[in-house]
Amino acid sequence: MRSTRLALICIALVLLAWPPQWYPDTVRIALTQWFGAAPWRSLPGPLAANAETPEDYCPGGEAGWRDEQEIEGVTVQAVAGCVADNPWLVAAAVRGTNNVSHRVLMRSGLTADAVEKGADLDGDGDPDVIHIRLEVAELNGSSAESRDPVTSYALAPGITPGLWVFAPKLAGMATENFESNQARSALRLPSPALRVEQGDRVIITLENTHYMPHTLHLHGADHGFTTATGAGNDGVPLTSEVPVMPGMARSYELTPRHAGTMFYHCHVQPHVHVMMGLQGLFVIEENRPNNWVQTINVGAGQVRAPAVAVRESYQQEYDLHYLDLDQQLSERIQHSNDPRVITRSMHREYDITDASMDYFTLNGRSFPYTFRESLVVAAPGDRIKLRVVNGGAKGIALHTHGHKFVVVAEDGSAVPEAARSARDVVWLATSQRAELDLILENDGVHAYGPGIWPFHDHQYQGVTNDGIGPGGNISAIVYEEYMGESGWPRTQGVSWDNYFTVAYYRKQLPVWQSYAPGLFGDPGPDWILLLRLSVLMLALGGLLGTLLSWLRSGR
Amino acid sequence: MAKIRTLALLWLLALAPTCALAQHAGHHNMQLDTAGMVMNANHDRLPRGCDAISRDYDFDIAAGQEFAAAVPGTSFGLSMHEVRVEPCARVTVNFSNRDEVRHQWMVHGLPKYLYPTGMFHLEANAGASVSGTFIVPGDDRTYLIHCDMAQHMEKGMKGQLVVGKGSGNLWSVPGVSRSFYRDSYLPRGSWLPLSAVFLMGIIVATLWVRRGR
Repeated sequence: MRSTRLALICIALVLLAWPPQWYPDTVRIALTQWFGAAPWRSLPGPLAANAETPEDYCPGGEAGWRDEQEIEGVTVQAVAGCVADNPWLVAAAVRGTNNVSHRVLMRSGLTADAVEKGADLDGDGDPDVIHIRLEVAELNGSSAESRDPVTSYALAPGITPGLWVFAPKLAGMATENFESNQARSALRLPSPALRVEQGDRVIITLENTHYMPHTLHLHGADHGFTTATGAGNDGVPLTSEVPVMPGMARSYELTPRHAGTMFYHCHVQPHVHVMMGLQGLFVIEENRPNNWVQTINVGAGQVRAPAVAVRESYQQEYDLHYLDLDQQLSERIQHSNDPRVITRSMHREYDITDASMDYFTLNGRSFPYTFRESLVVAAPGDRIKLRVVNGGAKGIALHTHGHKFVVVAEDGSAVPEAARSARDVVWLATSQRAELDLILENDGVHAYGPGIWPFHDHQYQGVTNDGIGPGGNISAIVYEEYMGESGWPRTQGVSWDNYFTVAYYRKQLPVWQSYAPGLFGDPGPDWILLLRLSVLMLALGGLLGTLLSWLRSGR
Repeated sequence: MAKIRTLALLWLLALAPTCALAQHAGHHNMQLDTAGMVMNANHDRLPRGCDAISRDYDFDIAAGQEFAAAVPGTSFGLSMHEVRVEPCARVTVNFSNRDEVRHQWMVHGLPKYLYPTGMFHLEANAGASVSGTFIVPGDDRTYLIHCDMAQHMEKGMKGQLVVGKGSGNLWSVPGVSRSFYRDSYLPRGSWLPLSAVFLMGIIVATLWVRRGR
């Protein structure tokens, strides 16, 4: 008798708690005819706004680094943007680390043998025997004592995928200092753009400071299959040589006969190693008298000491390195600290044929950090040389607002004058290079006049950070009149506060929150429905329990 | 040798102001040559609480990938991962690099009034050797030794300097202490025997209870 009463109570509760919107539409319409519509109840209001303080848009780098300066005879151009390369490193990369004073060498952070420049073979006033030393560094790697990525390097707020890079040979520690876990400024993505002169006798020594085997392959740059001593010189383990093992070093040689924009990368398990970041621009400048080229351009970007032939025709030169990254690959170095486990995970368990790319970088950063260091800042009438490489797994459709590029060379070969046209989308397949002229002549074709004109990959995944926009490789051509003193452009659109938070790119913030609070903000929870469903579940449970007890007692 | 050292010290003192301008924090008291660099060497300045140098030590420590072979799961290593000395001792380290890349031997957490940024730092170029001397403080403490090139400490180049009784082992020093986080090395398919054993436990317990009734 007691159980029958319980069952009836449960049934009544189920009927009462059952949310009205769950009744079949026909039942609801019938009920409406008798009782009319249900009374008004407001939908849940918006959630409270995020309280995360945005980062400084432009934190500024070391004092004086942005200024134009003369260092031991090397004119280092000014950087109008927010963050600049170390001008001492630029000067040492032009003169050679063996030719600068101790003071310049110390301030450059390079070792004395990082870029050695020797004899002037053709007697035209510049060195032609060039010896570059590269190390291999891991950024955002693992540790047996911490879950935080070590030698940390952020592409954008809170985004720290594991990376491998070729690095200029730097003296001392990998981090800013012992208290810091941040990678020092010259240790970064992308691998440095290297620059030599046509006809130089170039030696590049790969000092493998990393825990995996690597090689160096000079893609598109004229090199022999073997070195003078018969050792492998193509960097391909299958056909040329055994890779350079951890702690070992090997020298590659070339005397490039043609100028052009080339590429270099590791050729060991390239679908993994190249995609981890072991790739960089390799630029061969035309041979000119007194042509001291900037052999290392850290993080690519503005060339602060352009070569003679570039200075003849252009006001500025920029190296633009595009690279996409797969989080499912790059996180693998963060999940384990055992090189054997990492090797298995990266080379056998990861399957690039199932991959989709998550991060899209320009010169090692994604938006909004691209605006700190990859702006092209210029004045009306300027001619600017852009050397572009797409190092990513997917093609890029490079598009600029306010201008049309002229493609003057592809894959290091000049495009004949007659075949050149002004283009606002330039397609670059994987590992392709293009040399683009950006002519700031307000003629309605090459340029439409001053402004802040974005340029980016027009494939839409490329303008996101793991699917959150704006992100990816967005940067801009900014006319000087639109630049602020601190190096931040005077944009006149929306607030960027959201984009300088970690939460935004973790998909935790409504997209328009920073400039239209409350507009399509996340709705709050419906506590009344939750209460109703709790009663319903309790009653259904009670009913089930009663039925089971009846079954067991054989009623 | 002593004369060269004195000369180097004098040279250092003359150079110190320009070095302090260096971009990379801690370029103080730096001695640089083709073999590598020695930073913050200290032959005679006594730490507070030390009346005299208690003892002189001379350690030959080698570094390189060859030392990783004996320690599974590492890529680089040291010939000696633990250095034990008495308080107030003067320690000379002859650091030789067996690899074709740079390596470092750095001690951290030393008193900053003697060692800028609390660091004593040796860096040896490929195949080269460098020697440096420093004086340890008088209290019992364990100091971190490592190579600060990216991932070299994580992949095996970690050690500890134990002064006196020390202050407890550091984590993940090869041959001394375990890793704080350890990968799983369970054989593949372990869930099968583990589940079987779990089931067996249930069966045995059930039978046991039934027999007791």
